[in-house]
Amino acid sequence: MARYAMVTDLRKCVACKACTVACSAEWDVPTGQARTHVRATPLAGEFPDLMSSPYVAQCNHCDHPPCVEPCPSGATFQGDDGIVRVDGDVCIGCGFCVDACPYEARYISPRTKKVDKCDFCRPRIERGEEPACVATCTAHAKYFGDLEDRNGEVHRLVFHVGARRLETAAVAVGPNVYYLGRPEQLDLVLASFPPRPPQLLTAGEAWKKLARPLVIGVVGATFLGQAVAFFTQLHKGEGDFDE
Amino acid sequence: MTSEITRRRFLGTTATLGAATVVAPAAASQKVHPPGWRGTERVDKVPTTCEMCFWRCGVVASVAGGKVVRVAGHPEHPQNQGRLCARGNAGTGLLYDPDRLKTPLLRTGERGEGRFKRVSWDEALDFLAGKLVKLRQEHGPESVALFPHGNGPRFFATLMQAYGTPNSAEPSFAQCRGPREVGYSLTFGRGLGSPEPVDLEEARLIVLIGSHLGENVFTSQITAFATGLAHGAKLIAVDPRFSTAAAKADWWLPIRPGTDIALLLAWMNVLIGEGLYDREYVETYAKGFEQLQEHVKEFTPEWAAPITDLTAAKIRETARAMGAAKPAVALHPGRHVTWYGDDTQRARAMAILTALLGSWGRRGGIFLPTPIPKGSFDLPEFPEPKRGRADGAGTRFPLAPEELGVTNGLIDATVSGNPYPIKAWIVYGQNVLESIPQRSRTLEAIGKLDLMVVVDVLPVEQINYADLVLPEATYLERYDPPNIVESAKRPFIAVRSPVCEPLYESKPGWWIARELAKRLDLMAYFPWETPEQHLETILAPTGINGNELRNCGVVAFPGKPYLDDRAPQDRSFDTASGKIELFSQDLADLGADPMPRYTPHAEPPAGFLRLIYGRAPVHSFARSQNNKILNALMPENEVWLHTSVAREFGVAEGQRVILENSDGVRSNPILVKVTEGIRRDCAYVVHGFGHRSRALRLAFGRGASDNALMSRVSVDPLTGGTGMHVNFVRPVKA
Amino acid sequence: MSSVIPVAPVPLTKEQAEAMLHHQIKKHHVAIILVHWFNAMTWILEVSTGAALISSRYFRVAPDWYIAMFNGLLGGRANLLQFHIALGVTWILVFLPYGLFGFRTYLRGEMLKVTDRDDMRWLIIRTLQILGKSDEPLPPQGIYNAGQKAFSMVVWMMTPVVMVTGVTMAFRLGSPWVVGWAVVLHFLAVGMIVAGLVVHVYMGAIFPEEKPAFFSMITGTVNELFAYNHHFKWWREMKVAHLAWEQKRTPKDKGVGSDEPEGEPAEKPATDSPG
Repeated sequence: MARYAMVTDLRKCVACKACTVACSAEWDVPTGQARTHVRATPLAGEFPDLMSSPYVAQCNHCDHPPCVEPCPSGATFQGDDGIVRVDGDVCIGCGFCVDACPYEARYISPRTKKVDKCDFCRPRIERGEEPACVATCTAHAKYFGDLEDRNGEVHRLVFHVGARRLETAAVAVGPNVYYLGRPEQLDLVLASFPPRPPQLLTAGEAWKKLARPLVIGVVGATFLGQAVAFFTQLHKGEGDFDE
Repeated sequence: MTSEITRRRFLGTTATLGAATVVAPAAASQKVHPPGWRGTERVDKVPTTCEMCFWRCGVVASVAGGKVVRVAGHPEHPQNQGRLCARGNAGTGLLYDPDRLKTPLLRTGERGEGRFKRVSWDEALDFLAGKLVKLRQEHGPESVALFPHGNGPRFFATLMQAYGTPNSAEPSFAQCRGPREVGYSLTFGRGLGSPEPVDLEEARLIVLIGSHLGENVFTSQITAFATGLAHGAKLIAVDPRFSTAAAKADWWLPIRPGTDIALLLAWMNVLIGEGLYDREYVETYAKGFEQLQEHVKEFTPEWAAPITDLTAAKIRETARAMGAAKPAVALHPGRHVTWYGDDTQRARAMAILTALLGSWGRRGGIFLPTPIPKGSFDLPEFPEPKRGRADGAGTRFPLAPEELGVTNGLIDATVSGNPYPIKAWIVYGQNVLESIPQRSRTLEAIGKLDLMVVVDVLPVEQINYADLVLPEATYLERYDPPNIVESAKRPFIAVRSPVCEPLYESKPGWWIARELAKRLDLMAYFPWETPEQHLETILAPTGINGNELRNCGVVAFPGKPYLDDRAPQDRSFDTASGKIELFSQDLADLGADPMPRYTPHAEPPAGFLRLIYGRAPVHSFARSQNNKILNALMPENEVWLHTSVAREFGVAEGQRVILENSDGVRSNPILVKVTEGIRRDCAYVVHGFGHRSRALRLAFGRGASDNALMSRVSVDPLTGGTGMHVNFVRPVKA
Repeated sequence: MSSVIPVAPVPLTKEQAEAMLHHQIKKHHVAIILVHWFNAMTWILEVSTGAALISSRYFRVAPDWYIAMFNGLLGGRANLLQFHIALGVTWILVFLPYGLFGFRTYLRGEMLKVTDRDDMRWLIIRTLQILGKSDEPLPPQGIYNAGQKAFSMVVWMMTPVVMVTGVTMAFRLGSPWVVGWAVVLHFLAVGMIVAGLVVHVYMGAIFPEEKPAFFSMITGTVNELFAYNHHFKWWREMKVAHLAWEQKRTPKDKGVGSDEPEGEPAEKPATDSPG
């Protein structure tokens, strides 16, 4: 089974946002939302010794995707190919996964009220095409392929050129979008856009920590109570209860 | 099965037709979106040529049930090779802009009020033809001027020539790249054209002087730029602002604006003084080296340092980097270069530097166009105008070419009535209020007109001043003359053909021009019935079939981009001497400097900043701000102020200020961006915002217009180019 | 029978008891019975599919095999969700008019009386009895005993929550924040009802003493002896009403409840709670 990954070369990227628009056009993403964002780091340094870098953010299809567990309905799941997918038919739009994502890759569509995000253009790759963002990238700064294909460009860039994952000691979930750049450039990107520790919305927290134990406790307690009654009744014999 | 999917099927194989290669996406049918993709039943893929900007990339439109659902890069187009920028990908945002002009409009209120009545095309065209006949009788045909832009209006150009007026002017000359074309022509015998043949991908050193590639996005140029950098090219970015390119640069030279010529001269000084120039190339191809050597002797880096606000060491270091990388130095000539009024001389300095590095016609430098055959129509001779051009092209501005003209020259003539009164403007595809500086003068000129006609897609502000507004079909709905590009490594012919029916009552330009020709009895100049016939005639000498070309979208030819590809006798230059002219006798004859010389320009007065401007990758000119896809990405512009400047003016990031220029002209409120990435003497804005037309519901009132703040220009006496970097502004609390 | 109606349960003679055991009195209207069993079936299906829908390890209440089984049964998660939503909406459509029109009778008529002293004592003694810790006689009860009423209270408070949160989720009415809280409240409300259901089902279907109550949900009637022993206050009300009805037929007699409507009170459909 393939293990898909993407490499974005930030030395080549000019932040033209062609990827954002191509992706939005391909998947009819509602205006004002995006599956892939192009950002720029704040300037580091003082005039004239300055540094900045573009940063292209999208779903990282992490090895350990923190968005899967908080999804109550199982709409978000990870396929065997590593692609983290959203089954729109199952999504209820609770937004728990949105807050769980360290890379802010998810949004709730104002049109469907369901969650949406990058799926590495899975329908396209199934047809043998590149993802829309890769296909349109004006700077040829994006590479897509199977990490396990030893002859592939992505394998070469990750294992032999040293494309980096944007992760920190605090948030290491194994993102599968890798970045190429000067070391200090990638450090700046990581410092400017550190992956956010996965969060659970208050509602989710309340469910996980309060509602679930409470329901299990109360239902369990009544069940136990009835069990005790049942055995008492067996012990006493049915006759006692007859009129 | 495949024929079900594609109405206009791409050719399945690559066919060779004479010297030409018909480029077809291999097995195109497999690339077709499957049924069900975004709710579609059946998707047709139709190739055409983009017009979200003027770079003219190849695109393929996916059409489902007559609706365009996707515009993507044409995978086999030799120019963009499947790639497409944000604007190109947002093509449907223009096509389906609900604010589009929908019917012909006849003005009912005062000029500028924006009150119109809807009229039929017959009424509109009869009205216009009647006016044109009357103007010809009363004031002569020369009293009518055309303001075109792009390749759509060639039909109007033909019509106007047949009508008998020589007056036509595009802002692409006097507000954009005119001085560059002239400066390079004076040196190499030819200009650069568009797309610029800069061999960025093969370069070992890329030099950008005021060019902000990355923010200024033309797909294939960005591809070449990024590829060059990835292959290890070094980058020198000369820019008063820390641009996207500067962030990638090995050397960022935050030069004092207006002093480029001093830097260029100092570079020449080092290259010649240290023997780093391409001696063999210069000896073989150039003329006037001794004069140049003598001329630049005094312009040392130490001389240039205080002028340019750069260190001599850095100037020397970058000059040596150029010397080391020669001839593979891609010294980008820039595009919009009408800055200070001495822009032709600046272009000359860049051309001379290119020659010293041996880069012209060399791999990694500037490559050469390869001519391709093209057909023409056997038209009757155009009537000879009784009076010459009114804009001064070739006379008042001796080096301005007649085919492009000088827009501001036409405006001058309209205002003054000299050399003769201009009574009517036909504006096609350009925005005279946003693309030409000195807005109040443009409005004054419009006030003197008997007739103003605007042919446009969107209700931009200028339509409010028009007597007649004609709604044009967008590029996705119309045929335009084929795009013949010779200045490409693989020259090509590409078509723009409609991918869907025109929406509303909009009509393609060719139809409008032809209908007018009928009414003006000029049909002899339109000897074709349909766009297909028009295309066949142009293609005749190539042996390419028009239908095949429409099916593929593009035909490529083998190119000879470098001097080395050509026989020695074919390596001459189209100058008077047949050589590269480092010393220009033509300029000397005109009384101008035969070699460039630095002249100081006015510095900002105390309390003011120089207004500089540029582009954002998601917008084109002032054309795309109402596109909902692009508007969402960038709804308004910001003014960049240096941290210390912002502190001095007491303004903060995210605050809105008004920009006021030294003539008291005030802008819309604009957001402040406080940054270290700009010189302290400059304020930077992205061009194209601050729309004043309420009919543009998304763009209206968002951001500030740089053009409106350009109440002053410094006109280049050689070309008429309007230097636009000579305005000073200050932030005022909104 | 004597026209003296006792104010508190008195020991019955064997004959009296025998007579009462064979005298069926009407407790539930046929509509109530249908609604009850529709409700029961719905709850079984909704709770079992609902538990299968929560697959997150954070929130789940069912094991993997259970979730897999239900996904398999309905051909996938999407179908499972669609089924859950469709049945839930049907349930709401059936219950909404029922709840709206019955509101006054049920809630004001019976349910708010749950707090009287007898009810509270009943709850305590009953619990102790079941656990075998008390032999004290139960205080007299109305048509519903305090346990049934307590369960009804939970049901009455939680059912609107289940409905509103369910509709909110199914049709995503509101921001993700709203939907997020709706999921939690839906779960919580259902959980509370299920806890009550455990007792309700046990008492109704398994606990032998309440067997007549279980069968009353099929036949609509209980024997008078059961009513006398378990719902004394209701039994007495019926007796008083019956007496009043008889006295009204012979106006010279004085009696209580003379403003009772005409008809045979015992035949009057009794009220019921949806539990």
